[in-house]
Amino acid sequence: MYWKYVIKRLINGVIIFIILVFIYSVIFNVQLEQTVRTMIEEKVRAEEMALSTGNMTPQQIKQYSQERRDHYYRIYNLDKSVPERVLINTVNSVVFNFGNSTIIKSSEGSMDVRTIVFETIPRTLLLFATAAIIDIIIGLLLGIKKAQKPGSGLDKTTSVSTMIVFGMPSWWLGMLMMMLFVYTIPLFPSGGMVSTPPPEGSMAMAGDVLYHLALPVLTLVVLGFWGRAFITRNIVLGTLQEDFIMSARARGIPERKVLYGHAMKTAAPPIVTMALLALLASISGNIVFEGIFSWPGMGNLYWVAVEQNDIPVLMGDLTTTTMVYLSGLVILDLIYGFLDPRIKVGGKE
Amino acid sequence: MANNNKKEKVLEVNNLKLYYRTSMGEVKAVDDISFFLRKGETLGVVGESGCGKTTMGTALLKMPTPPGYIAGGEIKIAGQDIVPLTEKEIRKNIRWEKISMVFQGAMNCLTPVYTIGKLMMETLQEHRQMSKSEAYDRMVKYLGYVGLPEHILNKYPHELSGGMKQRVVIATGLFLEPKVVVCDEPTTALDVVVQAQIINLLKELKEKLDLSFIFITHDLATEAEVSDRIQVMYAGKIAEIGTNQQIYGEQGASHPYTRRLLAATPKLHEKVAELAFIPGTPPDLLHPPSGCRFHLRCDVAMDKCKVEEPPLVEIEDDHYVACWRCPKK
Amino acid sequence: MKWADIKNSFSDFWKEFKRVKSGIFGLVLFIIFLLIVIFEPLVLPFGEVNDTWRDITYWEDNPKSAQPEWTNFFRSEKLSTSSKLTDPEVHINDMGALKMETVSFKYDYQFSGAPKDIVLKAHGTGNPLIVLSVTRPDGEEIELLQKPLFLEDGSDVRISLAKDSRDSVYEFARDYESRVNVGKSDPKLFDVPMVLFSKAQEGILRDSLSEALKGEYTFSANIILQNENDTMDDFSLIIPGQVYGVLGTDAYKRDLWSGVLAGVKWALLIGILTAIVSVSIGVIFGVVSAYYGGWKDSLMQRIFEIFRSIPLLPLLIVLSAVFKPSLFMLIGMMCIFFWTGPVKTVRSMAMQIKEETYIEATRALGGGHGRIIFKHMVPLLIPYSFASMALFIPGAIVYEATISLLGLGDATIVTWGQILSDALKNGAVLNGLWWWVVPPGLCIALMGMAFAFIGFAMDKILHPKLRTR
Repeated sequence: MYWKYVIKRLINGVIIFIILVFIYSVIFNVQLEQTVRTMIEEKVRAEEMALSTGNMTPQQIKQYSQERRDHYYRIYNLDKSVPERVLINTVNSVVFNFGNSTIIKSSEGSMDVRTIVFETIPRTLLLFATAAIIDIIIGLLLGIKKAQKPGSGLDKTTSVSTMIVFGMPSWWLGMLMMMLFVYTIPLFPSGGMVSTPPPEGSMAMAGDVLYHLALPVLTLVVLGFWGRAFITRNIVLGTLQEDFIMSARARGIPERKVLYGHAMKTAAPPIVTMALLALLASISGNIVFEGIFSWPGMGNLYWVAVEQNDIPVLMGDLTTTTMVYLSGLVILDLIYGFLDPRIKVGGKE
Repeated sequence: MANNNKKEKVLEVNNLKLYYRTSMGEVKAVDDISFFLRKGETLGVVGESGCGKTTMGTALLKMPTPPGYIAGGEIKIAGQDIVPLTEKEIRKNIRWEKISMVFQGAMNCLTPVYTIGKLMMETLQEHRQMSKSEAYDRMVKYLGYVGLPEHILNKYPHELSGGMKQRVVIATGLFLEPKVVVCDEPTTALDVVVQAQIINLLKELKEKLDLSFIFITHDLATEAEVSDRIQVMYAGKIAEIGTNQQIYGEQGASHPYTRRLLAATPKLHEKVAELAFIPGTPPDLLHPPSGCRFHLRCDVAMDKCKVEEPPLVEIEDDHYVACWRCPKK
Repeated sequence: MKWADIKNSFSDFWKEFKRVKSGIFGLVLFIIFLLIVIFEPLVLPFGEVNDTWRDITYWEDNPKSAQPEWTNFFRSEKLSTSSKLTDPEVHINDMGALKMETVSFKYDYQFSGAPKDIVLKAHGTGNPLIVLSVTRPDGEEIELLQKPLFLEDGSDVRISLAKDSRDSVYEFARDYESRVNVGKSDPKLFDVPMVLFSKAQEGILRDSLSEALKGEYTFSANIILQNENDTMDDFSLIIPGQVYGVLGTDAYKRDLWSGVLAGVKWALLIGILTAIVSVSIGVIFGVVSAYYGGWKDSLMQRIFEIFRSIPLLPLLIVLSAVFKPSLFMLIGMMCIFFWTGPVKTVRSMAMQIKEETYIEATRALGGGHGRIIFKHMVPLLIPYSFASMALFIPGAIVYEATISLLGLGDATIVTWGQILSDALKNGAVLNGLWWWVVPPGLCIALMGMAFAFIGFAMDKILHPKLRTR
């Protein structure tokens, strides 16, 4: 039963991914073409310059460069019609073949867009997953506490705090934290993932990364756990009012088991959904946040690519982010299905 | 009040008051009622919606739905008053041990993420020191009583039909063999065929296991099938308590409300030109009317009824009525 | 659904809403914002801020990167405030062939930090010759500069002491300064006003050692009007201080208070417009999808899933980078993706409504699809829609701010995001220019908070189950 569900969701995810990549290709085809044309012109011009020092006549050079131009056009498919190009681009993107960047280099110096983009994925995950785990734990515990005594002082004040930070941009808080804890009171480093030069030894390295993780994670957690607590509280409170809770209490089940067994287990699917969705949103949305802290993740790459107008990297990052986001959604559905027996086991006899 | 050849009382309620605290004041959902249940009998409790019967049901387990609370009175189960006991004592010794509840099966009263087996096992192990296999045997035995096969234990609630869920709820309510079982509208949301099955099942089990039931419903027909004695409630008060015969019999009930309630139920074999109904609406329990609570809708109200509240009086053997119009026989 | 019904439900709703304190607080904040927008022309110190945000000349007379004036409250040694002196003493001596106009301004200096500049502004014609000098409280008189002017009819004159009196001030200082310090100083780079307002003693050329000379300074301009039609009038002396205004200035000398106030309307516009449009689309989409059911529902749900799977910000960024949108295009783009928000909940609510008998009854009576959807189903979802809209607004505002921060927003308008973008570009974070960074972001947070209060209050009313008493 569950396996059917899993396969359905996976296939669904892949199909959506292909559709999205296709849509991206359609939208951005023109711009990509522009970039490639410009790049080709530069290449040909460079070749012309190199040749002009040799012993070919201007006539011959002109002819040669035209041949080169045609050659490049063929390689980059510019000689094909627009629909064909869109299709080829789609196929390429789906297998993550993005070609080369215009300016940006990876940490090893490669200009292959896929390398550049892929190496940023684990860094982004490190930052946001760490923050997410911490703020989910805090939020969950706080939310359960709030649900146990609804309307209490704790409940009310924490709810108000939730609303206060509701519209606060994380990157702005990041700026404030930096002004305070990096420049006014120099407690934390001013950015990046590791110090330059990076320390020797894996323990020292890990410590260094933690040192750099601290302030951004702190900023994210300070903003994030309120929302988690609020939603957890609502979900748990709603669950606690269900009839089966009253029924469990009537059967003499102790309150602790009622709360953590009956209530939380039932509330788990929506809570997990909420937590993971928040994590996904933060990953895909926190481009500026990474930029403020110069954290070399997917988001920061975006910013750099925008500044340098490196369209291939931008496209590659977009496609990759979409894939990560989509995978997250699929995984979310799978976990939800696993936790909720109504889906796991299926319908009536 | 009881005769010598009658069985002992397993449940005795005296002057029970159940109020709801709301932002607009106190709603007197149940206002000073007294009744009892004998061993081995079924006491049916009927009344319109809002008359207080369901509130009373959960209160008997000392679990009034918040913001309700017990404002006074005693609830004696097998002679022990549970009102002054602490929550802990009640949870450990009273609930499900001495008194249990059979909920409306269509209600969402089975935790959706637990299998039936886990639910039942948890309840058993909470109350009795049993090994897993002993518990398992008892569960299977009681599932057998309600006509369900063993493999139900591995199913989740959503995999069962309404009727099956109701049977599970019944089995769970009975397997600790409590003294009193409160059934709150157990058949209301089921279709007629299943209803009949469940009712027969309940009657069977009562005989077999010598149980004592309180059967709460608004459906008079079901009540007649199942109950030995019937308690009619109105606006938080008891209007009448009588045996099946006394209420439904030829003589007819005594309390005007009961009579009109019966008249309003269409009978299968009688032609009815017009459906009888009781004019007016149930009173506001925030500010109940003075005197007899029914007097505003009663067709035989006297002046005394508007001013003085009639007490519940035993007008004949095992027949109690609260009405100025009903003298002792 | 009649008008009377709507009015009734609205007044019931309002009664409930009034009881939620936080909701009222949010509403009050919202009204304050609204009032700011309505009365903007009256409230703005710099009325043309909307059009001149990118115009450097408009902000000329302000100090650069000045802290807000109220920060002086926390200082024992006060920094110089900014001021504008407009009523000079003017004498005109007619000496036959030429006229001599004497203009003097009295400036009472009681601060510990010198202003950033002294600027003389006037209006004139012809070729007047202007000689500026100052009389200090210690009696010293310094001729600051001598300058012939060449003015067309009715031109504006602007003379900056920091630029044009450098040499004379240096000469003055040298007389009092030790040789060592003179050697350490650079005549091209020293702080002119600081020296002007410092005690004439050793250390005058050194920022850290000079002491302020407090007292009354008289700035005089002797203007020789040589020709018949030489004129000069409308004098003012502008003193950009170290602190300025309510929120200080940024690196481009722009008054941040005006900027922030001007941003209110854009934030409201962006937030409200995006929220209304996207929630409306989402609700209608959800209802229609639930109503039709069957393959139409499945199709619509597929479309919904595709949109939902797009990581919004990255795509918005790439779209903005490629297409460089104006504000309304940006709002449009946001709406295209935001509508997915309410769909799931609305659809399940609509499914429940669909099962109600009165829907069946309407159909039996011959009601068409449109009628059922818009007259019977959608109105029931209006309370939920409003709550959703309120909660969408902060998100939309933050998105616009994020896009602007990356330099991709609409540069022709002043939004809080634009202000922050400039702040970031000019290293405000690194240099601790907190008054540039905190206020715009704080406004975003405040507006978000206001709508969060309103939205959650509405939500509370809609879900009485979760109420606690």
